[in-house]
Amino acid sequence: MFEARSRRTKIGLQLIVTLMVLPYLFPLIAMVQGSLSGLGWGNYAKVLEVPGFWLFFRNSAIIAACTIIIVYAVSLPAAFGFSKLHIRRKEVYFWLILACITLPEVVLLAPLFSMASALGLYNTYWAVIIPLAALHVPFALLLSRNFVDGIPNELFEAARVDGASSLLVFWNVVVPLSRPIAAAIIIFTLLASWNNYLLPLVFLQDPSTQTITLIPQFFVGEFNNDQTKVLAAAVITALPEVGAYLLLQRLFERGLSAGAIK
Amino acid sequence: MTDKSIADRGLIKSRSSRPARGGAAAPRRLLQPLGLPWVLPALVFTIGVIYFGVGYTGYASTLDWNGLSPNPPSVGAGNYIRIFQDPVFWQSLQHTVVFFVVGFVIQTALGITFAVLLHSKVKFAVIYKIIIFVPVVLAPAIMAPVFRQFYGANGQFNWLLDHIGLGFLTQPWLAQSSTALGVIIAIQIWQFTGLTFVLYFAAMGQIDTEVLEAARIDGASNLRILVSIIWPGVWGTTVALAMLTAIGSLKTFDIPYLVTIGGPNFSTEFLGTYIYRISIPQAHVGYGSALSVLLLILALTMAILLQSGGREKKGKNL
Amino acid sequence: MHRNIRNKSRRRAIAGIAVLGVAVASLVGCAAGPTTTDEGSATSGDLTWWGWSPQPGPAEEFLTAFNKEYPDIHITYKNLTLDGWDAALRPALASPNGPDLFGISPGPKVANYGEQAVDITPALEESLGKDWKSKVSALVSVPQMYTESGKLVGAGVGSANGGSMWINKDLFDKYDLTPPTTMDEWLDDCEVFKANGVTCFVQGAAQAAFDRDHLQAIADNLKPGVWQAASEGKAKWTDPVIVEALTIWKSLFTKGVMQEGAVGAMHFPDANNAFFSGNVAMIMMGTWYMQYATIKGMTAAMTAAGIADPKPFVTIPIPYPSVNGKPSTDYHLFGDVDYAVAVNSKSPNVAAATTFAIWLGTSEAGQQLIANTGGSVASLKSAQPIWDEIPLVDPDVQVGPISDLIKAAGTITEPRLGILTQDMTNAVGIAATTVGAGEATPEEAAKTLQATFDQFG
Repeated sequence: MFEARSRRTKIGLQLIVTLMVLPYLFPLIAMVQGSLSGLGWGNYAKVLEVPGFWLFFRNSAIIAACTIIIVYAVSLPAAFGFSKLHIRRKEVYFWLILACITLPEVVLLAPLFSMASALGLYNTYWAVIIPLAALHVPFALLLSRNFVDGIPNELFEAARVDGASSLLVFWNVVVPLSRPIAAAIIIFTLLASWNNYLLPLVFLQDPSTQTITLIPQFFVGEFNNDQTKVLAAAVITALPEVGAYLLLQRLFERGLSAGAIK
Repeated sequence: MTDKSIADRGLIKSRSSRPARGGAAAPRRLLQPLGLPWVLPALVFTIGVIYFGVGYTGYASTLDWNGLSPNPPSVGAGNYIRIFQDPVFWQSLQHTVVFFVVGFVIQTALGITFAVLLHSKVKFAVIYKIIIFVPVVLAPAIMAPVFRQFYGANGQFNWLLDHIGLGFLTQPWLAQSSTALGVIIAIQIWQFTGLTFVLYFAAMGQIDTEVLEAARIDGASNLRILVSIIWPGVWGTTVALAMLTAIGSLKTFDIPYLVTIGGPNFSTEFLGTYIYRISIPQAHVGYGSALSVLLLILALTMAILLQSGGREKKGKNL
Repeated sequence: MHRNIRNKSRRRAIAGIAVLGVAVASLVGCAAGPTTTDEGSATSGDLTWWGWSPQPGPAEEFLTAFNKEYPDIHITYKNLTLDGWDAALRPALASPNGPDLFGISPGPKVANYGEQAVDITPALEESLGKDWKSKVSALVSVPQMYTESGKLVGAGVGSANGGSMWINKDLFDKYDLTPPTTMDEWLDDCEVFKANGVTCFVQGAAQAAFDRDHLQAIADNLKPGVWQAASEGKAKWTDPVIVEALTIWKSLFTKGVMQEGAVGAMHFPDANNAFFSGNVAMIMMGTWYMQYATIKGMTAAMTAAGIADPKPFVTIPIPYPSVNGKPSTDYHLFGDVDYAVAVNSKSPNVAAATTFAIWLGTSEAGQQLIANTGGSVASLKSAQPIWDEIPLVDPDVQVGPISDLIKAAGTITEPRLGILTQDMTNAVGIAATTVGAGEATPEEAAKTLQATFDQFG
């Protein structure tokens, strides 16, 4: 963006970024430091020794994966429908869905519980996955609708000349082009479902179904609170997310630039 | 699919303009295939799950209920009337507004600056990006004690002030009504600049480099380019972010609740924390539901206002 | 019945809508977790138990011991933090899938969830005899443990009592100081500590529950009974004793007893960890701190506070320094059942659940475990900690003061949490922080308290 021809400006810019990024770094350092105080790496060992740690990890992965798949499978066709197909009063429907972004999760807890009980979903992963997905479809839809809006109509017309149905067009045009937006959906939904605390807490009773966000509870009691291990657990919990971000970074950015943006 | 033939005949009619995005209506095409089946799963899913919740909350908002008792008495609009006489509600609304405005302005400024700088062939850009983005993935619950220590009377922040010659500014930041809100905003900015940055970074990647080159040849300064080309170029992002931040501010819960429990003396109480406090620990589920309904209305209004307002401005600019 | 019909049709509508959602979702094919249903007898069954206390470790010990006697009752314990307790339990109890056993404590929790508990009185009579009240702590049967309809919500497992302070004895010895018995001595001690770079006292004043402990201690010290009377509506919150308690509380800030920034700190983890880091002389904590008098408990707590190579220090309880002008070394304690295990009346396993609740609350095996864990004072009078089994850091110094504390705890009649609604606890927190920060005078704060009391009770 900015042009830095001279060496001095180059160094200057570098310096500014470095200074600006420091405030973001400090709390992270404090966090890692905290996770290493006391027993040092032993804190991490203790977290990994929590009975069922890997099971919790796996459960979180299952919940995140299912949520991502559902969000993707529901929002992309909807994006296509809203963007390129004829729907009466489509904006009304669109805003009906979008309005769901505004609802705080805690407000939904009681109704969700009665729903999960009525459907026999209590204590199953579904009781967590379905509300999570429902809460994140709106944002995914917002992103992917704008993305599909950006696909030139010429592509669709070409498909039409070949006699393709909307299903085929969707499959052959929208889906292949949507890889970047998929990356964005994956990252955002992963963050939301992986970090979610309240829903697994409330809906998963069986210890074998609990998730990784409940690990800190092993170190926090009524009258004690071992922050060193809580922080170690936090670092471990964040690693897969940071990994996913690094892995999908390029696609993610492309997806965003074609998504909610411009 | 029964609409296959319709679909075949009328898929795309207009070759010319790209359809307008967002709220504006797409160009009318008479023989466009039906889209309803495509959006039905999303509608059923969100409406089935969430609107059930909204309905439930709406009903609960007319009750004097602790969330458990089987036959709660109805109070009609009583809870809503109470809201308007509740000083904590007005206080938390005020904090929410300050939080949104200050947080959004600073976050936007930082996000754009980072995006511009990291688009300017800075070395080790990936490392900077990671540092800014990592806070986005961390659960606020985890960071709350870290921040209480960081901004504590003997915390690292005061230590830092001491060492850069600003020792006279040191104070117990979270222990005073006057400074606690500022700290909460700072933590929020810390956590979400990553998101703002990523969105702007992506948006700037879309700006035509030829335009930039042309401007440079005409002798435009970096600042001039920022104001006249980059800023308008990312306007859509700014509007989208304004909307998301507004909604996020109204829902804000984690950071103020976990760092200061809304205190001291309600100085960091927000609508989100107030609803939680009222409906969960204090078990005034009816009143909490009324507050939730109000929050929903406010959030929708904000979203619609920002969306339409933003579009108008864009129209004038171009 | 009208409600049932409405519920049914509403449920059906929800079911219809959600089934569609599920149908869409199941296209993707994700695994679902198990569900459990089982009818139970008094000696067998599959049960679930939710509690904020004990922690998973001790809970496992309890359950292992329990299963030696009742091998066919399988209990799955789920530990929740107090933060998430109400959010999780309320909807769970409202549904047919709630836990068979759930933790409960007097006051707000009894008010909110008590009506759904099975009356435990008959089981107590069966286990301990008609005179069961004489065998357990009086706190087990205080009015706050009963619902409005007269049900005893659970067999109190142990008690948590406030009104004491705990000191770092090593620091007092190091600077040749004696624990304060009056406010003046306290101020003097603080000056010495401060001069030596030691923090005199820590309080996490952002946490209302522990402000309440401290204010109640001051008020009881000034004049026993006023705090309780105000809580029960028999005295005004604007009573001179309460105003003076707030004034003394304020002086703790202005005279530098409180650590800087106390109003922004939490009692847990902030103040607690500060104490265990070893550079703080005193903290306001109750009987639950007994667990940290042991080598094991202290070492763990210091490690948790981030000390790399912990050398356990000696900590002992002392009475709250006298503020009424008369030097005294008596405890004015208040307390209540830390947790009782309640049996969910909707459970299909009421019999087996009751077996466990009674075992933990009244059996010698169960109660001895509680006594030795040190988190709470066991309810069964005959269960006392066996110090040989849980080595203290320095038994010579610690056994005396700790035994005194346990003895004082045995005579408590004034409730701690049980006395205030959640609204009032909140209001006390606000009063404490505004007064502490100098944003309200004690008189103003007392008026606000009374106003809140008038509104919510």
